[in-house]
Amino acid sequence: MVDLALKMILDDKTRFAITVLGVGFAVALVLTQVGLFFGLLDNASVTIDRLDADLWVTARNTPNVDFANPFPESYVQRVRSVPGVTRADNLIVWYAIVSLPSGAKEQVVYYGLENFPLWNFPWDVASGDPSDLRRGRYVMLDESAERRFGAFEAGDYREFLGRRLKIIGKTRGARSFTTSPIAFVDYGLAQALAPDELEGRTTFVIVKLDPNADPIAVAAEIRRRLPYNDVYTKADWASASQHYWIESTGLGLTIFLTVFLGALVGVVIVAQTLYASVAEHLSEFGTVKALGGRNLDVYGIIAEQATFAAALGYGVGFLFAQALGPVLEQLDMRMIITPTVYVMVFVGTLALCLAASALSFRKVASLDPAIVFRG
Amino acid sequence: MLAIEARDVTKTYGEGRLAVPVLRGVSLSVARGEVVALEGPSGSGKTTLLCILGCLLTPSSGRIAIDGQDVDPHRADRLWKVRRRSIGFVFQQFNLFPSLTATENVQYTLNLRGWRGRKATREADRVLDQVGLGHRKDFRPRDLSGGQKQRVAVARALAGSAPLILADEPTGNLDSEAGAQVLDLFRSLAKVENRGLMIVTHDPSVRSIADRVISIRDGQLTTGEAN
Ligand SMILES: Nc1ncnc2c1ncn2[C@@H]1O[C@H](COP(=O)(O)OP(=O)(O)OP(=O)(O)O)[C@@H](O)[C@H]1O
Ligand SMILES: [Mg+2]
Repeated sequence: MVDLALKMILDDKTRFAITVLGVGFAVALVLTQVGLFFGLLDNASVTIDRLDADLWVTARNTPNVDFANPFPESYVQRVRSVPGVTRADNLIVWYAIVSLPSGAKEQVVYYGLENFPLWNFPWDVASGDPSDLRRGRYVMLDESAERRFGAFEAGDYREFLGRRLKIIGKTRGARSFTTSPIAFVDYGLAQALAPDELEGRTTFVIVKLDPNADPIAVAAEIRRRLPYNDVYTKADWASASQHYWIESTGLGLTIFLTVFLGALVGVVIVAQTLYASVAEHLSEFGTVKALGGRNLDVYGIIAEQATFAAALGYGVGFLFAQALGPVLEQLDMRMIITPTVYVMVFVGTLALCLAASALSFRKVASLDPAIVFRG
Repeated sequence: MLAIEARDVTKTYGEGRLAVPVLRGVSLSVARGEVVALEGPSGSGKTTLLCILGCLLTPSSGRIAIDGQDVDPHRADRLWKVRRRSIGFVFQQFNLFPSLTATENVQYTLNLRGWRGRKATREADRVLDQVGLGHRKDFRPRDLSGGQKQRVAVARALAGSAPLILADEPTGNLDSEAGAQVLDLFRSLAKVENRGLMIVTHDPSVRSIADRVISIRDGQLTTGEAN
């Protein structure tokens, strides 16, 4: 089979390259923005996703994991007595001001637990042992803090809310949406750092369930026993924390607009260049019709060209996004592009390119093949 | 066997006060293996008639049969099938695809006619050899002379055994020598391959290769004498 569509493209490589770059630009824009969006959102819930708890008990109306409200720590007993609960512990998430050697002050979010290993938390330890945290005024800090705090090593001391804590190790990948670095301390120390608010109080109760227990039923029972608290499954709490940030920052709308504009730019470029190309090759399409081609055959040629533009443009955008990933990583920004996103963006690119090519269909549909005899 | 037969074909462009009657009852036929020249002054309706015979244009009235089969010219959505199967065209402007080589130009048409793969390749080679372009198969139109381009167009029209070939001023863009070569080729291939050939022309040299000359004036045939 002679591939007229492809040969036409190859005959005007410049125009086609412009089309491909246009699509590639739009795809790169959409992929990086969506990737950054999911990267940011992941920060909003990464601790929830990684901590090995099935249910989270929060103070009433706590909007997200970073903005915790205290409630009596004794509530944990009531949770432990609920059937189906294997384990329940208090977890403190609170803010502290850290004084740096430079004299500057920075904020951290600290997580306080009695038994870190039991909850598989922190999940990625670069150095030190979380089970040592209970042995004294110790802290582990996430590596990402170096951007704010400057370099630090295990054995260094830093002043947290006026108390000197010894850094005994580093973790990786613990981030918060607020971009405050994350620290890990013993539960007792967590309370002692902010005695006014946290004396005898906790901010969360985390719950591990019996494998056979029904999370919904257990959550309902905890709610019945703790009427002034909220209870979430892990997934619901992660999504509540994410949605808080999507809504309160307008991030959702921003990302929607970016994707919309990216798609629009792509469609306009493809529609415009394809239309110009069709107009230029009109007499060839007339010849195709005169030789016995149907409208469908001509649509096929244009649609094939749009498909090539979509596929190559997607490839360009894909490579660009891949190359940008490490660069952004250097700037401490993370893109998370799941295979689903890649597939959806590809399908969207293809669909929009075909839709853009359909604008040219009308021009050839009404094309009278008799033009071949009229000079 | 008649390659084409037309009965009482009329064509009026436009409607009402703007109506322009162009063909006023034309009847003609071209047999397989016959070469017919259609002459007439400019504006007499030659191209219009050729478009109707070639199923590119619907007549206002009249009947057409191609290779013995009636064509319903009002089923515009079906005419492409008739063109695909039964008609080869040669145009004054050549109308080759500039991005395709000579062989590909022929093969593409064969593909439209349902010929695939090696069968199409062999047929394309055969007709290009016949028009004497065996050594230019992989040339693009831009690298061919006018006469060579028109020979590719002739090869394209011959490829795939359409019973009827219609040509509108095929020598109009050629110098007289190249034009004469194309006409000789045309005649001999129409004979060898037993196709009906109708050539619309101003060019008097067409008369010398035609079996029959038909003249049209103001939308009516005036003569139909044998050569
Ligand atoms: N689409 C159209 N609409 C209206 N009138 C038309 C149309 N096409 C052709 N005509 C008219 O029909 C008449 C015949 O045109 P046609 O092209 O068939 O002549 P021709 O014999 O081929 O002329 P030439 O030798 O100059 O090519 C002309 O008067 C022309 O103006
Ligand atoms: Mg004409």
